[in-house]
Formats: sequence, structure tokens, C-alpha cells
Amino acid sequence: MTTASPAVRQTAALAWRSIVTTVRLPQAWFPALFFPLVLMAIFTASFGGAPGVVPGFPPVRGFLDFAVCGAIVQGVLIAGTSAGAAFATDIEGGFFDRLVASPTSRVAILTGRLGASMALGLFQAVLFIAIAWICGARVQGGVTGIIVVVVIAVLFAAAVGGLGVFLALRTGSGEAVQGMFPLFFALLFFSSAFFPIETMTGWYAAVARANPISYLVEAMRLEIIGGATIWTTLAGIGIALGLGVITIGASALALRRRLREAA
Amino acid sequence: MNGPAVETHELVREFKGGVRAVDGVSLVVDSGGIFGFLGPNGAGKSTMVRMLTTLLRPTSGTARVAGYDVAGDPNAVRRRIGVALQDAAIDPYMTGRELLRLQGVLHGLTRAGCRARADDLLGRVGLEDAADRRVGTYSGGMRRRLDLALSLVHEPVVLFLDEPTTGLDPTSRVTLWEEVRRLNDEHGTTIFLTTQYLEEADQLADRVAIIDDGRIVADGSPAALKADIGEPLLTVTAGEGSTPDDIAGVLSRFGAIVPGSVDGGAGVRLPGGSSAMADAVRALDDAGVRFQAIDLAEPSLDDVFLKCTGRHLEGAETAPA
Repeated sequence: MTTASPAVRQTAALAWRSIVTTVRLPQAWFPALFFPLVLMAIFTASFGGAPGVVPGFPPVRGFLDFAVCGAIVQGVLIAGTSAGAAFATDIEGGFFDRLVASPTSRVAILTGRLGASMALGLFQAVLFIAIAWICGARVQGGVTGIIVVVVIAVLFAAAVGGLGVFLALRTGSGEAVQGMFPLFFALLFFSSAFFPIETMTGWYAAVARANPISYLVEAMRLEIIGGATIWTTLAGIGIALGLGVITIGASALALRRRLREAA
Repeated sequence: MNGPAVETHELVREFKGGVRAVDGVSLVVDSGGIFGFLGPNGAGKSTMVRMLTTLLRPTSGTARVAGYDVAGDPNAVRRRIGVALQDAAIDPYMTGRELLRLQGVLHGLTRAGCRARADDLLGRVGLEDAADRRVGTYSGGMRRRLDLALSLVHEPVVLFLDEPTTGLDPTSRVTLWEEVRRLNDEHGTTIFLTTQYLEEADQLADRVAIIDDGRIVADGSPAALKADIGEPLLTVTAGEGSTPDDIAGVLSRFGAIVPGSVDGGAGVRLPGGSSAMADAVRALDDAGVRFQAIDLAEPSLDDVFLKCTGRHLEGAETAPA
């Protein structure tokens, strides 16, 4: 541990701090667990009869098997927004200044926050799959399938965390970051996160088909309900990685821009 | 450390719209002392501190802190300074000990080093009992003391305190003053302190610079600055059977009479200060002039500020005792 480079230890310490402050503040973690699970329960109760009846609905054991990955992605999105808001609060409150006025690695300021987002994403994915399993869902892809779902969730958590950090650095306001949330939510609803594209119609279906989130959720979902191929998996991982490169790259530039004011 | 702790030359910081928050400040702060940077709200104190702590790039001019240029080698500066900024950034959901250990890692201390340093500092600022409580439960004074401890984790050679006691009650303020003084005495840490309280600068600092509108308007030891204003003013009110003129007649032997300095008596600028006061009182007795009240008013830093800027320092009347 003492031989690790300072940047690695700083990343770990800052990630630990982000996780601790999230866990100790119920309003920081409760929405990210509660709302996706409630929505998952409502959808499952409402559309439980849809599979096998509604034309276009993919073959699936039950609606819960179908719904769990949408819930994971939604939870990750909510957690990412909270992470962004927390980062903005650090800027507003002066913790960020404390970091900048210390020899803390500039990279660790970012990786610490993103590391925490990834750890929380991992926790959410495992928890949601476990809850769904207890409630009767089964994973067709087996252990490999679970690993794929978790890996995509963790990568997506980093991407969403990057977006949150980017917005925090550009606005410097927790409220502004929190205010972006409905926009993300719309992005999720205009995808196949909750319902299959095959049951959608007209322009709505077209938007969902063009939305990369659809393919990301699809890649995870096929591991649960069956039918995943190497291509669907690669598409999901690729989209998560691509989004991550864009958002984390943008947040690195935003950090650089903010630090330009400093010496 | 050899050489000055802080040295600036024609330091300028201009913000958007051409506002010059700091407008050509040249300053040399010697190592080992407590330097008080005094000025009203918005005078440029915080902008100055943000530049010296590498948080803000100077528009022009140079600044060296602990021997290193803030723009040229900011990381060398960051390793040698401690910073406690206004509105301490402290996570309410973490404990004092956790925050100190985190700060230790950020400064590159080993795990064991962090633990030992946290224990040591908690003891020093008297927070052992509250160490494992969340900071959200701390009082204002405790938070400031924790903030002070946080800024000391890496044993800085120069410590910047930006308005360390603003918003504190008088007791907490005095406790913090003692802490700062001890730090300076026992560890030789140079302290650069900003304040809008005259009393604080007077109590703590061995040297004071007054900033107004981004410029230094006075610079020196509190005693020297006050001496510049003039001698202490001795006022004596007449007692039974004597008149203000009788008093003035005796006092005029000791200095220049200040007309209208007190009702029903006379006042004189006393070059000798308190020792001369004893002589004056004896002279009044010898002359058989009876008197009621005697007061010797030392010039205050507010008088200095008034002389330099033509205004009273904001909050001077409510300055803490």
C-alpha cells in the first residue's frame, strides 16, 4: 500500500470519501435504489401478462426478467446525477479549493470521483440482479451473463459519472446539475430501457432505435432473457466505453479549463 | 527557512470587466512571524490569499511563497503551505479523524504517518473527545480548530488563515488566537492571517499591512503604525473647585493641548505615554488642582485606517474584545 504511487492512493482515498459521504447521506443513495425498484415493480405488475401476448414482445420467462436491466441503468443514471451534484457542492463549498491548494494529483480529483461511481454502479447491478432473482427472475446467460451485465453497468456508471462531473465543473452549481436530471430521464424513456422497440410505433420507435442507450440496455437484457450474441455484447460494451470516452474526456477538459484560473 | 516567507512584487489580479481586486501589491513577509493582513470586506484580502496559495493566477507581477514562485513552481509552494480558507470546506458527514487521515493521504503521508499525525493534531487542537463524531455535530469554534488542524497535516512552513475567526463567538475566538500563537511560538510556523477585525490584528500580529481597494495603504508593526498617528491622548476632567483652564494650565507643560477633547476638562498629547501620565497626575496634585476622571487613550488601528483612507474600518465599533 505504501509503495503505491501517490496518485493511486489519492484516487483510492478520494473514492472512499465519496462513497462514505454518499452512504451516510440517505438522500444521496435512496433515490438511486428506491425509484428504479419501484418502477420495476409497477411495470412488472402492470405488464406481467404482456410477454407472449403482445405482438412484438421478445420471448421471455416473465416481465421481471425483461425489466431488471432497465432498472439498473436507471439507477446508475440517478446515482451519476447525485455524484455530479456532490462534485458541484465540493466546488461551491471549498473542498475543491482545498484539493487544488494541496499537491493532490489533478488526475486523482477526477478518478477518485469516477472510481466511487463505478463502485456504486457495481453495487447497484449486483443488488438489483439479486432482488430480481429472489423475486423469481432467472439469468439465462449464467455467470458469464451476470459478469457482462455488471461490466456494462460499471462502465456506464463511469460514463454517467463523467457527465455529472463535466456539468459540475462547467456550472459549479449542485442545483444546476440536479436540474439536468429530467433531461437524462427523458433520454432513458426515449429508449428501449423499459419496453421493447418492437412494441413502439411511429417516430417514438424511430427515436428509440437511434438512441444508443437502447443497445446498451439490450446488450445487458439479452444476457438475462437469453439471445445474447458476441455482437450484442460488444455493442453494449462499446457504447458504454464510447460514452465514457466522450464524457470523461469532456470532464477532463472542463477540469483543465477550471484549473487554468489557478497557478 | 531562509529568506522571506512571502515576497510579492507589483502583484495584480484583474477580473472580468477590468476590476482590479489586487492592484500592484509589493510585500515582504519575513519568516517566523505572524503577519496580519487587515482590510474591510472586498478590499482584496481573499484575492491576495488565493494568489499566494496558487488558487488564482496573478494577472501580472510576481509572488514567491516559501521561496518558490507561485506561477512557476506551484507544486513546490503547495507542499510547503497550509491553507485554511474562509467558510471551511468540511464534510459534515465525516468525522474529524477521517478528514485528517484523508488530508494526510492527499499530502502523500504513509498510512501509519496519517494515523499518527491525526492523533497528534487532534490532541493539539483539543478535539480528541470529538474525533470520532461527525463534523456536522461540531460547534463553529470546533470546526475552525479542525480546519486549522487539517491545514497542518504536512507541517507547512507558511500557514495562510483567511479570516479564521469571522463568525465566531468571543470565547472561541480567543481559543483560536491562543492556538495560532502557540503554533507560531512552538513550531516557528510563519502565519499569514487576513482579518477585518482590528483587535485580531492587534492581538496576534507582529506586523500588519492594511489593504484598501487593492492597494496597501499602511505597513508596519501595530505599535509603529499607531505611533505614526500620534501620541496617546491624556484627558482629565476638572474636579470640585477647579476649572478646565486650571487643568489645561498644568497639562500644557507635558505636551500640546488638544482643544475640545473632553467636556469639562482638558486633553493633551502625551509623548511619554503611561509613564508621563504619572508625572502629569503628580504635577496636578502639586499644583493643588483637583480632578475627577483620567483617561489615557492609545491610538487604535482604526485611527490608522481612518488616517489612510478617510473612513472607519467596517465593524470597528463592534470589533470583538
